[in-house]
Amino acid sequence: MSEFVLPASVISKSDISRLVIELEWVDNEITAAAVRAGVGSESGSQPVYSVQLNDFLDKNKLSLEKGSERSDLIKQLRAFKSDAPVIHMTFAGAADRESLEQLTAWVREQVNPQALIAVGVQPSLVGGVYIRTPNKVHDLSLRHAFDGRRDVLVKELEALRVGK
Amino acid sequence: MGLFSKKQVDEPTQDEVADDAERDFLDETFREELRNHGRWYFEKVIKENGTLFKKELDATVAQISVELEEHVIKQLDASITQINTELKEHVTQRLDEQFAEYGKAMQEAQQFTLESLTRSAHDLQEQHQKLAETLKKSISDQEEALNKVSSENVTRMDAMKDAQDKALVSLNESAKALQEQHDQMGETLKKNVADQQEILVNAFEGNMAHIVEHYLLDAVGDQYDMKSQLPSIIQQMDENKQAIVDDMKL
Repeated sequence: MSEFVLPASVISKSDISRLVIELEWVDNEITAAAVRAGVGSESGSQPVYSVQLNDFLDKNKLSLEKGSERSDLIKQLRAFKSDAPVIHMTFAGAADRESLEQLTAWVREQVNPQALIAVGVQPSLVGGVYIRTPNKVHDLSLRHAFDGRRDVLVKELEALRVGK
Repeated sequence: MGLFSKKQVDEPTQDEVADDAERDFLDETFREELRNHGRWYFEKVIKENGTLFKKELDATVAQISVELEEHVIKQLDASITQINTELKEHVTQRLDEQFAEYGKAMQEAQQFTLESLTRSAHDLQEQHQKLAETLKKSISDQEEALNKVSSENVTRMDAMKDAQDKALVSLNESAKALQEQHDQMGETLKKNVADQQEILVNAFEGNMAHIVEHYLLDAVGDQYDMKSQLPSIIQQMDENKQAIVDDMKL
């Protein structure tokens, strides 16, 4: 598997898929422009890259000028998409992009720089996060925290009843 | 009657005399004068006689009327008297006949009624006699049945009294046993109530904890957003970092 430096804006496999699609489109555009230039026709405007693609190209110091490089990059990204380590994170509500980028940054800094995040939503968690790694789950939700501390509440109520 | 009181005797009348004298002595004018005089005289006489005749006729008519009236009254009185007498006799006769017929019919009816009453009284007496006999027999039967029933009732009452005594003894025993059971049940119930109370209190505490937890989760869940949770999540992830890293390396 190729080692890529992933920018914070690329979070999930969906983002990788979008990069692949955009790269394919860019490759087609550049190839078509070269063909048109060969026959003396107008070359047209240069394709505009998305923020994610720009970040990705900058972080990895890649160039899309050569067709072979573009093809290799597309292949490598496809392979990366299927082989990249994924951490599933489930939240109580929809997570905003900025928070997800911070969490992704923490994961890539502390766990694995190639890691991708799969985001899910489960309102019954109330708060916190439910993390699933390939072989384990880490329930860091608020519901789990309350479940673990219910005995404390019962003891408090019993003490209140005895005190009466 | 005075009608012909001035009838002339068989002497020649003045007219005959005048006629004779006329033929002899008077001329036509004188004869006419005489004729007028005679006519006037005749009229006078006629008038006087008419007046007289009228008076006499009136008097005669009045007298005839009175007489006729008297006669008619008399005849009517006689006739009425006769008719009254005849009518009275006829009515009396008819009444006597009717009374005789009515009396006969009344007598026959009385006789018939008397016979019927006699017959009814006889029948009534017979029925009364039969009824008295039947009543007497019924009373004797009733007395006999009553005596029989009374004796049976006495026997039954004795048996019932025995049964009541036995039932009373049994009831007393049952009441005693029931009281014992009641006491035992009371104790068991008290114990069960205490146990149930303990269970309920425990369940209540568990449920109350659940309710409080649910309330807190509902209350807190709405308050948290991702950004406010982020430091806490990262802190917890730091605490579990090693386990995550280890699992990702496998």
